[in-house]
Amino acid sequence: MPPRIRPTRIVVALSLALAGAVATGQTPTPTEAELARKLDQLAAELAAVKAQLAMLQQQRAAQAAQAPAAASAPPTVVPPTAEAAAITGPDTAFSGYAEINYNRPTTQPENTQADLRRFVLGLQHRFSPATKVVGEIEFEHAVTSADDSGEVALEQAYVEHQLGRAWGVRGGLFLIPAGLLNESHEPTAYYGVERNFVETAIIPTTWREGGVEFIGQLGNGITLQTGISTGFDLTKWDATSTEGQESPLGSIHQELAQAKAANLSWFGAASWRGIPGLLLGASVFTGDATQRQSVTTSRVTLWDAHARWNPGRWDFSALYARGTISNTAALNEPLVGNPSLIPASFDGYYVQGAYKVWTQQDYALAPFVRWERFNTGKSYADLGPGLTPPALPTETVWTAGASFQVTSGVVVKADYQWFSVAKDSNRFNLGLGWSF
Amino acid sequence: MTPCRARALAGAAVLAWALAGCGGGTADQKPAAETVLSEQAALGELIFKDASLSASGRQACASCHVESNAHSPDNALAAQLGGPSMDRQGVRSAPSTRYLALNTRFFFDGEGTPTGGFFWDGRAPSLQGQAHEPFLNPVEMANADAADVVAKLSRTPYADEFRRVYGADIFTQPADAFDRMALALQRYQLEDVEFNAFTSKYDEFLRGNVPLGAQEQRGLALFNSPAKGNCAGCHPSAQGADGSHPLFTDFTYDNLGVPRNMELLHNGDPTFFDLGLCARSSGELADRADLCGAFKVPSLRNVALRKAFFHNGLFKSLKTALTFYVQRDTHPEKWYPRKPDGSVDKFNDLPVGYRANVNRTEAPYNRQLGDAPALSDAEIDDLLAFLQTLSDGYVP
Repeated sequence: MPPRIRPTRIVVALSLALAGAVATGQTPTPTEAELARKLDQLAAELAAVKAQLAMLQQQRAAQAAQAPAAASAPPTVVPPTAEAAAITGPDTAFSGYAEINYNRPTTQPENTQADLRRFVLGLQHRFSPATKVVGEIEFEHAVTSADDSGEVALEQAYVEHQLGRAWGVRGGLFLIPAGLLNESHEPTAYYGVERNFVETAIIPTTWREGGVEFIGQLGNGITLQTGISTGFDLTKWDATSTEGQESPLGSIHQELAQAKAANLSWFGAASWRGIPGLLLGASVFTGDATQRQSVTTSRVTLWDAHARWNPGRWDFSALYARGTISNTAALNEPLVGNPSLIPASFDGYYVQGAYKVWTQQDYALAPFVRWERFNTGKSYADLGPGLTPPALPTETVWTAGASFQVTSGVVVKADYQWFSVAKDSNRFNLGLGWSF
Repeated sequence: MTPCRARALAGAAVLAWALAGCGGGTADQKPAAETVLSEQAALGELIFKDASLSASGRQACASCHVESNAHSPDNALAAQLGGPSMDRQGVRSAPSTRYLALNTRFFFDGEGTPTGGFFWDGRAPSLQGQAHEPFLNPVEMANADAADVVAKLSRTPYADEFRRVYGADIFTQPADAFDRMALALQRYQLEDVEFNAFTSKYDEFLRGNVPLGAQEQRGLALFNSPAKGNCAGCHPSAQGADGSHPLFTDFTYDNLGVPRNMELLHNGDPTFFDLGLCARSSGELADRADLCGAFKVPSLRNVALRKAFFHNGLFKSLKTALTFYVQRDTHPEKWYPRKPDGSVDKFNDLPVGYRANVNRTEAPYNRQLGDAPALSDAEIDDLLAFLQTLSDGYVP
């Protein structure tokens, strides 16, 4: 049963009510990130949430008499709850999100591009109140064929089982809990037409691995996630291309595609939502990455710390992420002279602020500004004079623009980005995204 | 020696190994002390070293592909001598037959790049296919036909073993017997560890057993650098994702504009040009004028042991060959003759209409007349030092 709504505890109560409504209505349980986002939105716009709650309550009433409706978002973290345990009977639901982007470099307009960046379909089936399977398939760049650059990939494919009130376990291909974006990467969930650089170049969003994950929803707003999974594959580092400079980990992730699994990795993440409107979190992922294919053993470690705060109409977030790769001197010795040696460290950080200046019914307009700095080759192991590559310059990117919510789940975005190093990349961006 | 090799040497698994894409093995494997050959491979070794199978009675496969010189010629001739009296000159330099286990039949890849095939022009689809030709080539082993070769084979001391392996009546079917000969040669080249030894200093370096010296390491950097030697563009030096050691060839083709070598007798005819890929005897690429002048990219393993370089064997030292690479465009007068009007007859081993095919877009060929070469003399020495680490049989 959903809890009663009390004005004096509206934020917490509404979030519980939403969870209860979803659970008892046999719709998918909100993810941790989704729940957090809902919580933040609720804190920022009380009136709108009341309306949404009323709508959800109506939906719940309707769903009590018929099969469940579609999922509200791609399921990721699902803290087990008593409400979920009360679910009975099978449940199959679809979800999806997509983004269409237009990028116009202002100094090189001839490189202007429009792209259906991704179109993602999710399918969830609940076998029992405690067990469900989740799948998500992504189509990139509209057309996938031997002669086109498009790609089809499974982003998620896992089974989740609740172990009790506090803990659940997940097995299969799942998103790694890292940063703010990786588990909640739908275009309606972030500001800016493009995902921020730190959470693409340093944290290789959308980053998924195969393995086992435990998820615990403890008291006092604490969520823990930990598990064992496949990891990165340094043996496929291509020193002849610049891909590794664009995203060191993005160039060596495996995505469970015949992944080398001689070396497994460990990951852990903790989030705290003890104060309404505030999220504090951190994560770490570490594991050997030469997969016993090389005489050199090398460990890849990535960690981050992040925060998001929603006081009233404001929405602030900040994140720092740093990656390290050990024994890169030995790995790089055969690669000397190539354009992209393996960095010993790389990092990035950003701060972002947004303000909801106007709302009317479902409409909402939120200008934002983001400042981020990142370096995909912050340091290299010493190979001797003339052979050690210099550290790459740190790129600074300012992004300013606005998100216009047409309705819940549909957003139109526009922004401009200034680059301090790659000045030719300064660009105007326009985007349309949706998520359901 | 690698895990893949170890399995391959068990005998019958060799082809499966090759098909599975083992590029030479992983770094934690030691080279094999000795090779245990299958029956077919053992026959292949006998055939490979048997000069009685030639018209002259003095030439075997091993005569040009000398085992002690990394299965390449141990002399500096532009082309080897052969024929019934061992006095007829070949038309191209004899390549090494090592590290060909992973070569494929000729094809155009997804980007249209010609790839694979055996011989300088890729005309043979396999080691077996390649093995047929020297027996019948009038300037090599010079047999009249397959029956002639098989008749010689039937008189060898190992003829009974050949019958035992391929059938008692195999010599009554010369075409089949000739094919089995070539098959046995292929098996030998796939199974004998000497053909795929991976015993160079560079292999030991990749295995983490020895470091490269400072000059060798500088040379490797120049080898890899796209702005300097850019050698790795066609001769990849990095380990594969499966830990396999590099073969130092991508099995593609390139048109280098190597100067005409008047040591080759056929070049005495001013109307003759060896056009390579587009001039294959099958004629299948005759309409691909853009491929005229292109020749196979050989492995650089054991390159320091060679005594003549490029398809026409023009250069007699590796340093000269490297210097040509970097000075071809900056100082063409050093490499090409002058025309009657005094101008340099650049790319003189190609008809004028095909000279635009020569690779001039990538380093180190992308320099202009009078520019500084991509590599200095000292850097060429560094590069030489590195290339010398690619010779098999390294002993720390």
